[in-house]
Amino acid sequence: MARSLPLSLCFIMGILMVIQFFIPHPISQSFLDIIIKWVRIIMAFALAIGVRSITFRHYERIKRQKGEWGFSLVTLIALFACAFIGLFGGVGPQSYHRLIYNHVMVPLGATMFSILAFYMASAAYRAFRARTKEATLLLIAAFIVMLGMVPIGTAISPRLSDLAEWLLSVPNMAAKRGILFGVALGGIATALKIILGIERGWLGGKR
Amino acid sequence: MKMLEGLGKIDRRIIFLAMTIAVIFPLLRPLYLVGRVGRRTEELYKAIDRLPERSFLLISIDFDPSSMPELYPMYLSILRHAFAKNLRVIVMGLWLTGTGLAEEGLRTCAPEYHKIYGEDYIFLGWKAGITAVMFGLGRSLKETYPTDYYGKPVDSYPILKEDITYRDIPFMVSLSAGVPGYETWIAYAQTRFGIKVGAGVTAVSAADAYPYLQSGQLTGLLGGLKSAAEYEYLNEKAGYAKAEKPASQLMDSQSLAHLLIMILVILGNISYFAVRRKR
Amino acid sequence: MHYLLIFFCTLAPLGPIEVFDTPSDAGKCITIKWQPTAGEVDSYEVLRKGEGEEGFAVIGEVASGECSFLDNKVVDGKVYFYKVRAVKGGTILESEVSEAVRSSPQWFSLYRLNVLIGIILFSALVLYFIYHARRGKKLFIRRISGLDAVEEAVGRATEMGRAILYVPGLGSVSDIATIASLNILGEVAKKTAQYSSTLLVPNRDPIVYTVAYEVCKEAYTNVGRPDAFKGDNVFFITDQQFAYAAAVDGIMVREKPAANLFLGMFWAESLILAETGATTGAIQIAGTDAVHQLPFFITACDYTLIGEELYAASAYLSREPLLVGSLKGQDYGKIIILFLLLIGSGLLLLSALRPFKFFSILLGFFEVR
Repeated sequence: MARSLPLSLCFIMGILMVIQFFIPHPISQSFLDIIIKWVRIIMAFALAIGVRSITFRHYERIKRQKGEWGFSLVTLIALFACAFIGLFGGVGPQSYHRLIYNHVMVPLGATMFSILAFYMASAAYRAFRARTKEATLLLIAAFIVMLGMVPIGTAISPRLSDLAEWLLSVPNMAAKRGILFGVALGGIATALKIILGIERGWLGGKR
Repeated sequence: MKMLEGLGKIDRRIIFLAMTIAVIFPLLRPLYLVGRVGRRTEELYKAIDRLPERSFLLISIDFDPSSMPELYPMYLSILRHAFAKNLRVIVMGLWLTGTGLAEEGLRTCAPEYHKIYGEDYIFLGWKAGITAVMFGLGRSLKETYPTDYYGKPVDSYPILKEDITYRDIPFMVSLSAGVPGYETWIAYAQTRFGIKVGAGVTAVSAADAYPYLQSGQLTGLLGGLKSAAEYEYLNEKAGYAKAEKPASQLMDSQSLAHLLIMILVILGNISYFAVRRKR
Repeated sequence: MHYLLIFFCTLAPLGPIEVFDTPSDAGKCITIKWQPTAGEVDSYEVLRKGEGEEGFAVIGEVASGECSFLDNKVVDGKVYFYKVRAVKGGTILESEVSEAVRSSPQWFSLYRLNVLIGIILFSALVLYFIYHARRGKKLFIRRISGLDAVEEAVGRATEMGRAILYVPGLGSVSDIATIASLNILGEVAKKTAQYSSTLLVPNRDPIVYTVAYEVCKEAYTNVGRPDAFKGDNVFFITDQQFAYAAAVDGIMVREKPAANLFLGMFWAESLILAETGATTGAIQIAGTDAVHQLPFFITACDYTLIGEELYAASAYLSREPLLVGSLKGQDYGKIIILFLLLIGSGLLLLSALRPFKFFSILLGFFEVR
C-alpha cells in the first residue's frame, strides 16, 4: 500500500497531464490551473518541512556548540527575524521586509554572482591547456569569441565580431541542439518510465 | 626554463587581484573603447525608432536582481529611447522579484523626459498565472490588469481610458533572464496574436535566441552587456539620451577582464609546453 | 447602398468572406478571412453583428497587407455575422454579409497531432525494447566514465575518512534532471551505507529535500544498515539560488569532503560550486542537462555526465534489464530523428524549386503550436 498508492497516483496524474496537453477545451485549462494551485499548496507545506529541517539542524549545532556554531546562531536569528518582520510588517513596496531584501539579499546575491568573474579566470588558467589538436581548436575559438564580444576585438578587426557571432550561431548552436535532442528524448523516456512505474528510484529503495 | 614552468603556478590570489584591478580600473579611469554596433541591436533599435508617436510600447521585465548588471542597462536605454520618441510605455513583468527593478527604472528615466505617470506611462506590476496573463492580454488588458501596481483602476488613467489588446500594441520587448521570458511571449503572444516581439537577454543565452531571429519570430535582440552598450551609443548618437552610460562603462571592464583571461591562458600554456618539452 | 462607386475609385469589389470557428482552441474565437482587393487600400475594417443585435459595429482594423482577423471577444454558442470593409481615403467598399457562425471549444488540438504521433512512436520503441529486455535479451551500453568514477569516489572518501557531498541540483522535483539525480542518490546512498561513509545532501527545494530524505533512508534500510542513517545529513538550506551556493561552498570549505557530486539542474552557480570544490582537492563528478553550465563543469570537474548520460545513470548503475531496455529505445529514437533531420533538410532545399513547392506543406506538419 505504501508503494502502490504513490505509484498509482503517479500513473493516473501522469496520463492525465499528457492528455491535458492535447486538449484546448476550457475544462482542460481549468484542470491545469487546479493542478498548478495544488503544486503551490504542496510547496508551501513542504517549505514548512524545510524550515523545520534547517531549524533543527542549526539548533543542534548551537546546543552542542559544535564547530562554528556562531554562524548557526546568525542563521536562525536571520530566519526568524525576517519571518516575523514579513508576517507582522507586511511585504509591500515600502515595508521593512522589502528594505531588508533590497539592501541585504540583493547585494549579497550580486556579490555571489560576481565571484564568477574571479572563478572563471582561475578555472580558465588552471584547465585550458592545448593538450590535443581538438583542445587547441577549442582554445582558438574561445579566443575569437572572447575578443569578438568586446570593443577591443572590434578595434583589432571588425571581422572578429562577425566571426564570433558565426561561431556562436553555427557550430556552437549545432552542438547544443545535438545535446538538446538527446536531453529531450531522455526526458521523455524517463518520464515514461516514471509514469509506468518502471523507474522507482524516486520512491527510494528496491525497484 | 624554471621561470617558464613557474608561469603555470601563479597563486590564485594574484589572479583574483589582477581581475579586481582589471574590473575596477576602467570604472575610475574610463577608457571609452568604442565597438561597432551589431546587426541585431540595430534591428531592435530601428523597430522601436520606427514606431509612430504615441504608439504603445509594452516592456516586460522578466529578470531578477541577479541578472541586473546585464539587463537593467538595456531596460534604461529602451525606456529613454521610448520616452524620447514620445511613445506610451506599459511596463509589466512575469517575474515577481523584478518588480522593484521595473519601478526603479521608471523613477530614474521618466523625470528626465518630463513624463507623467498615467498619461505617458503606466506600471502594471506582476500577476500570477503566466498563460492567463498572456491570453488575457489578447482579450482585454483591463480585464487582465484591472488595477495597476499601486492598486488604482487602470481605466482611471488617461493612458488606458480605452481598453486595449495586443492588436493596439505594435511592438513589445521582453528583457529575460530565463523562463518565463521571451520564449513564453513568442509561444503564446506572438504565435497566437501576432504581436511583434523583441528581446534582451544575458550574453550566455543570446545564442539560444538566434533560431527565433532566423525564423522571424523575434525582431531584434540585445545579447548581454555589449548590446546594452551599443544601444546606449545609438541613443546618444541620435540625441535621445545624454545620461550616464552604465553599460558602456562596464564594457571597458569586461574588455580588460577578457584580455586578462586570455593572457592567463597563454601563460598557462607556455608553462605547459615548457614542462612537456623538459620531459 | 453602401457601395460607393466614385469615379476615381480604383477598388475592385470585395469577394465573399470566409468565417469559421477558430480550430483547435479553447473557444471564444472566430476567424474571418477574405481575399485582398485588386487595388491598394489603407486598411480593412471588420464589422460584427450578434444574433438579436441591432446593427453592425466595427470590432477591429487591420493593415492593408493582412487578410485575416481573429475575433476573440465572442461568446460561445452565440450566432454572429460579419462584414469586411476596405478603406481607401474617403472610399469604403463593403463585402456581403457572411454566413452565420458560432464559436465553440474543441476537445483536441490538431496542431499538436504531430507531437502525439511522435510520442506514440517513441513510447512504442521504448516499450518494445523493455519487452525484449524482460525476455532476457542482453543489451549493450557503452562505458560512461563519470558513472564508473562514482564507486571510486565513494571508496576514496571511505579511505580518507571524509564525507561525500551530494548536491541534487537546484531544480524542483518536476525537473527530469532532479528525478534522475534522486535515482543516482539512491545508488550512492547504498554504497555509502555499505562502506559506512558520511553522505551530506544539502537541498534547495523543500519537496526535493523530503524525497531525498526518504530515498536515503530507504537505501540504508535496504542494505541492512538503518542504524547508520543520519537524518541530519540530508537537509534543506534555502530556496534562494546564491544563498544556497554560498551555504554549499561553506560546507565544502569547512567539512572538506573527499568527493563532490553535482548531479541535477544547475544555473549560474555551477562554476561557483565546482571551482570552490576544486580548491579543496575533492574528486568531482558533475552531471546536468543544462547545456549552458556544461562547459563550467567540464572545466572544473574530473568527470562530467553530459545531458542524457545523467538520465542513463540509473540504468547504468543498477544494470536492471527494464531500465537498460528503455535506454536502447531512446537510442533508436535518436536514429529516427537523425533520418528525419536529413530528410527534412532535403525537402526544405527542394521546396525552394517551383516543381517541388508542395514539400513545404509536408514540412508544415513538423511545426508545433
